[in-house]
Amino acid sequence: MSHLLDRLNFLSSLRQNTFSGGHGQTTTESRDWEDAYRERWRHDKIVRSTHGVNCTGSCSWKIYVKSGIVTWETQQTDYPRTRPDLPNHEPRGCARGASYSWYLYSANRVKTPLIRGKLYRMWRDLRRKMSPIEAWTAIQNAPEKREGYTRTRGKGGFVRASWDEATEIIAAANAYTARKYGPDRVFGFSPIPAMSMVSYAAGTRYLSLLGGTCMSFYDWYCDLPPASPQTWGEQTDVPESADWYNAGFLILWGSNVPQTRTPDAHFYTEARYRGTKSAVICPDYSEAAKFGDIWLNAKQGTDAALGMAFGHVILREFHLDRQAEYFEDYVRRYSDMPMLVELEPKGDSFVPGRQLRASDFDGGLGQANNPEWKTVAYDELTGKIVVPNGSIGFRWGETGKWNLEQKADGAEVRLRLSNVLDSDYDAVVGVDFPYFGGAATNGFEVCAHPEVLTRNVPAKKITLANGRETYVATVFDLMCANYSLDRGLGGKHVASSYDADVPFTPAWAEKITGVSRDKIIHVAREFASNAEKTNGRSMVIIGAAMNHWYHMDMNYRAVINMLVMCGCVGQSGGGWAHYVGQEKLRPQTGWTPLAFALDWARPPRHMNSTSAWYAHTDQWRYETVTSAEILSPTAPAGNWKNLSLIDYNIQAERMGWLPSAPQLKTNPLEVAKAAKAAGKEIPAYVAENLKSGALQMSCEDPDAPENWPRNLFVWRSNLLGSSGKGHEYFLKHLLGTDHGVQGKDLGQEGRQKPAEAVWHDKAPEGKLDLLVTIDFRMSTTAVYADIVLPTASWYEKDDMNTSDMHPFIHPLQAAVDPAYESKTDWEIFKSIAKKFSDIVPGYLGVETDVVQLPLQHDSPGELAQAQVRDWKAGECDLIPGKTAPAYIAVERDYPNLYRRFTSLGPLMDKIGNGGKGIAWDTKTEVHHLKALNGTVTEDGATRGLARIDTAIDAAEVILMLAPETNGEVAVKAWDALSKATGRDHRHLAEVKEDEKIRFRDIAAQPRKIISSPTWSGIESEEVCYNAGWTNVHELIPWRTVSGRQQLYQDHKWMLAFGEGFVTWRPPVDLKTTGPDAMKSLGAGEKHVVLNFITPHQKWGIHSTYTDNLLMLTLNRGGPVVWISEDDARTAGIVDNDWIEVWNANGVLTARAVVSQRVKNGMCLMYHAQEKIVNTPGSQITQKRGGIHNSVTRAVLKPTHMIGGYAQLSYGFNYYGTVGSNRDEFVIVRKMNKVDWLDQPAKVEAAE
Amino acid sequence: MIVFKALSALLSYPSADLQAAIPAINAALHDEGLLGPQRQAALKPLLARLAEGDLIDLQEDYVLLFDRSRTLSLNLFEHIHGESRDRGGAMVDLLETYRAAGFDLAGPELPDHLPVLLEFLSTQDLATAQEILADAGHILVALAERLTRRGTPYAAVLEALVALSEARPDSEEARILLAEEDDNPEDLAALDAVWAESQVTFGPDPNAGCPISRDALARMAVPPATAR
Repeated sequence: MSHLLDRLNFLSSLRQNTFSGGHGQTTTESRDWEDAYRERWRHDKIVRSTHGVNCTGSCSWKIYVKSGIVTWETQQTDYPRTRPDLPNHEPRGCARGASYSWYLYSANRVKTPLIRGKLYRMWRDLRRKMSPIEAWTAIQNAPEKREGYTRTRGKGGFVRASWDEATEIIAAANAYTARKYGPDRVFGFSPIPAMSMVSYAAGTRYLSLLGGTCMSFYDWYCDLPPASPQTWGEQTDVPESADWYNAGFLILWGSNVPQTRTPDAHFYTEARYRGTKSAVICPDYSEAAKFGDIWLNAKQGTDAALGMAFGHVILREFHLDRQAEYFEDYVRRYSDMPMLVELEPKGDSFVPGRQLRASDFDGGLGQANNPEWKTVAYDELTGKIVVPNGSIGFRWGETGKWNLEQKADGAEVRLRLSNVLDSDYDAVVGVDFPYFGGAATNGFEVCAHPEVLTRNVPAKKITLANGRETYVATVFDLMCANYSLDRGLGGKHVASSYDADVPFTPAWAEKITGVSRDKIIHVAREFASNAEKTNGRSMVIIGAAMNHWYHMDMNYRAVINMLVMCGCVGQSGGGWAHYVGQEKLRPQTGWTPLAFALDWARPPRHMNSTSAWYAHTDQWRYETVTSAEILSPTAPAGNWKNLSLIDYNIQAERMGWLPSAPQLKTNPLEVAKAAKAAGKEIPAYVAENLKSGALQMSCEDPDAPENWPRNLFVWRSNLLGSSGKGHEYFLKHLLGTDHGVQGKDLGQEGRQKPAEAVWHDKAPEGKLDLLVTIDFRMSTTAVYADIVLPTASWYEKDDMNTSDMHPFIHPLQAAVDPAYESKTDWEIFKSIAKKFSDIVPGYLGVETDVVQLPLQHDSPGELAQAQVRDWKAGECDLIPGKTAPAYIAVERDYPNLYRRFTSLGPLMDKIGNGGKGIAWDTKTEVHHLKALNGTVTEDGATRGLARIDTAIDAAEVILMLAPETNGEVAVKAWDALSKATGRDHRHLAEVKEDEKIRFRDIAAQPRKIISSPTWSGIESEEVCYNAGWTNVHELIPWRTVSGRQQLYQDHKWMLAFGEGFVTWRPPVDLKTTGPDAMKSLGAGEKHVVLNFITPHQKWGIHSTYTDNLLMLTLNRGGPVVWISEDDARTAGIVDNDWIEVWNANGVLTARAVVSQRVKNGMCLMYHAQEKIVNTPGSQITQKRGGIHNSVTRAVLKPTHMIGGYAQLSYGFNYYGTVGSNRDEFVIVRKMNKVDWLDQPAKVEAAE
Repeated sequence: MIVFKALSALLSYPSADLQAAIPAINAALHDEGLLGPQRQAALKPLLARLAEGDLIDLQEDYVLLFDRSRTLSLNLFEHIHGESRDRGGAMVDLLETYRAAGFDLAGPELPDHLPVLLEFLSTQDLATAQEILADAGHILVALAERLTRRGTPYAAVLEALVALSEARPDSEEARILLAEEDDNPEDLAALDAVWAESQVTFGPDPNAGCPISRDALARMAVPPATAR
């Protein structure tokens, strides 16, 4: 019988009970209850934003908003595609970001402007009778009034203030400071412009219009690797994380990618699925170590020793015993290895001196333009010495030859790398190399070898100008000797066997690092052989752990040398990937005019923070490291040992190498008036008076009251809770409040005092008149501030973010209005500017300011000083801009400061824009901005100019002016560069000429940036962004002396301090666990002395999120220090004990985490755990325990002060002293009394 | 109900206006009489302090108590939802309650700010007001207790609200909230206890169980404090 009529043909019943083989069931009861869930997740709108915290993530998030309240957030997953064959970027985001909702409505949030009650009371009283500026003057003129509030910093006692009052006090203080001491005494500190670049620019625009000092962060954080500018003339440029996937061999060296680079770590995982091999180098068993195919657990701080041994193996096997064709070709073209170095006689042997220049030869080898800046080499084709294209002398004063074509004087050349063949050298000479390994202290392995190692080098004898004869050698031959490779030339201190006990062999490195020689040889061999087979696809991901040592340059240069030897830099999937704190500000050249008000006046005042804080927090008064301890035994003759570190810094400022803040002891507004009265041009007037001593540079006497920083803005930063190396010195000398400094200064200790810096027997305490912290949460810095201004957080403002980890630009957007009374940074500084302009007429008008400018990198100033000559020592005349800083007159229109702040000034029309040594016209862009943002319609000084009223207006200025976001500008920029190189680069951006990215575009979807000459990589369909790509593939020179990767540093100070070539330098002895610190130990009290390491953590981004209860819950709920099981046993500590950690610099308290992860002899404290959360009192100081930087102190390094010398020239956040902190040792003991100090604090608060 | 308006004012940031209005507040509380004489008497020290104290001292004190101490936050949902993402939704619900009654937020405060809620209640009839207040009864009990421990006269305001809400201090919810340690920016011992964790031991017995999950399970066994 047919079932046709019983059967449904076109329908199926929903009433069947089950489906999916009985696993599912259909029911018919009411499903209204589901509405509860639908309601729960309702929202009015979804807004794209990100977390503008100091991390490289820059992840796009969806913010759900209902009735003006943020209800939750989820990860966005609409990043533009990558390429076929490459994994996508998503998902980006991490647990820290996901816990962000809490911050928005947190009880920790700063809700209203807060001001120190004691200050407020005085202000109120005085304000009834006086104008704002008079009131501030009255407070500053009465020491007891001033101390009344400065001494209570950090001790509570805040009251709410209105915006009007708060901005009035700030404006009055700024105006008073500008007129009394000079505008450069108003400092501002804010880090990482790449995340929320408009918020950064808000403050620096205000400061720059005022003439205030913008402080650097990258060098201060010690995230700047000076080895990068030294080698490449580039601050830092790195591959995007997607390029890890292209690598064949990945070394993770001191970088903990799975823990600290959460949103990018997937590329690392995916690369391993693809077959990439990975070696991980770190002292502890970190998250990354678990990912590695091989883990090299080198002792902390010995990375350079390991790197030297790697280099030894690579040179031996791939350059000497056999010449890998790809490697040899690469180093010949792209490194300074073929360049000739003069060998200077010293005793019976020689030392490597300067790289020879065309000017050393008769007639300058035909070079009329900058012959002293053109390096030379032998040409294999003709056997003659030639001046190859590309050296820095070709960059300025001529066009068309600044390129890396294998040419000299228009003819093809093939540069000779080595003179080792019998037919090539004239003599084998002994060359001295310094060896520092014998000076190791604090338990670092001492390898006894002489402090000067003389090794044989093949040399040529040549005749220079005036008939002078000299020996020369190639950098390559010297390098092989430096790495102690036996080349059959005889002599000592070289090895033909890896097992030889000679510095830099694997056997030697085994003793220092604790890593077995087999592993070292194995990794070096695989790293290089992969690079040989893949044309350079071997990569090193490198982390702060390597850079935070005093001798970080050795660590980094050891790595860079390996990469250059193997032809990895500038190749897809290869190179140096340093992801620490830079966070590429991709539209940089569009941003600088906005940020530093270059549209109104040039130059701005920039300062390298490390030198500034070292001087102004008086850390120099406690210096324990002498120059004798770091000087090379091969140093040229000189007065080196009599100078202390701050003396070197003073010389550097005087010679125009480093910037100064403040600049002159006399108010620069007064200097300009005096020059005018004298009828002199400013440079001439300043030069004359500096020479006579009538004017003094501030750096020579940092403790004189005229030279103190007076006002400090801290925004987007937790300077005192996170990055302030020498935290306790900040508290003592800069703020003048309670502190934990244990040590005595040089005067009290009776040690050698500085030769140049003026010594005051009593150091000042409380230099700052006013500390303003702008934050959304009550951070440690806010707790110490005089005024706290509540700022909008990341879902409450319009702004932009970029990162070095991916090539996208994306927005922060105001999903909701700023909570409570908070305002965006843009609006805050706008309102301060407004108030300033309102109160200042009659007190300050249109003034001439004298701005001091150091010799700038990427300007002709980088060719200023081929020789080191100090005008004050009479070695040369004082010529501003040549032998000293430049002094430039800048007009300040104080009453119109607000109008200038809110409009795009006329210099963009008149001068245009540029960056990295090239310039272009911006008339079209100014015209477009007028149409886009509208023009100022109010009568006055700015009528008709493009408006910059809102943060979005400001963002549009950046986007319009930057080549990375405006294709038309990109083409102009490439054209400008083409002129310098004589090669056509336009094709890199031409297809995108019509692309203009607007704020609303990135609101719709993150946009990939356009290739620009600001950066050394490109964005294309073929390759991922990778640093050095355009140098290698477009033949654009590196911005160094030789125009190539500069592996030999020939500056006199580099040679003096033994860093001409890379070598192994053990951590320096900071002597902080001596009697001053040990006195706090009881007789026979159990303790242990450990090296203090401060890596990034998993439960916070620096100090952000470390007061977030969710994140605290995932760790121990407060500050912790990790120690090894053996060290814990020695000190009688068990896991979770409260411990005290201290040295001469200060004290911190924390819980102990006892773990097998940690190597004996070191302890590990994740940096920037806030002391406002769960930190008890110290037994030593009887005060609340400090932060990780309580036990550190910045120590300067003279080689970082060099300037006016090609790649070694100053640039903001580019070169300068850095705040290293890992050579520090601490004493650790168990606390026998945990005191929360609640009573005394209350009593004080109630005073 | 003027009493709610008055208590809202007393819990607001001290200002010259507030100081001037203290006699009026005192009179209004007396005239309306919703608070018994005992409660009114308990408020006297606060009223006196606000009326006569130095304004900036009063303000410093207020900032320390209510702006800087998480456990004394006047944002009610801080105590229920804290850092959880439910907080946004709860605030939306409360805002909609205000809107349904014909009000919107005027100032910078969030809807769950206690003075905001009290001002809203002053516009409602007593029964409604008490019903809404009772929902937050356990938080009020906890806040009253914590303020009493801190020895501040502000405690009397919260005690008055507890009385008005007719919340029972011994309710289960209140007991749980009270069990939470105080947090005082000047006293961090409490936080320590809250976040202390058991030590992990790597013993010979791999099956002994993980103390972290044991603790987590124990915490989950306590019934959660509910929103409303």
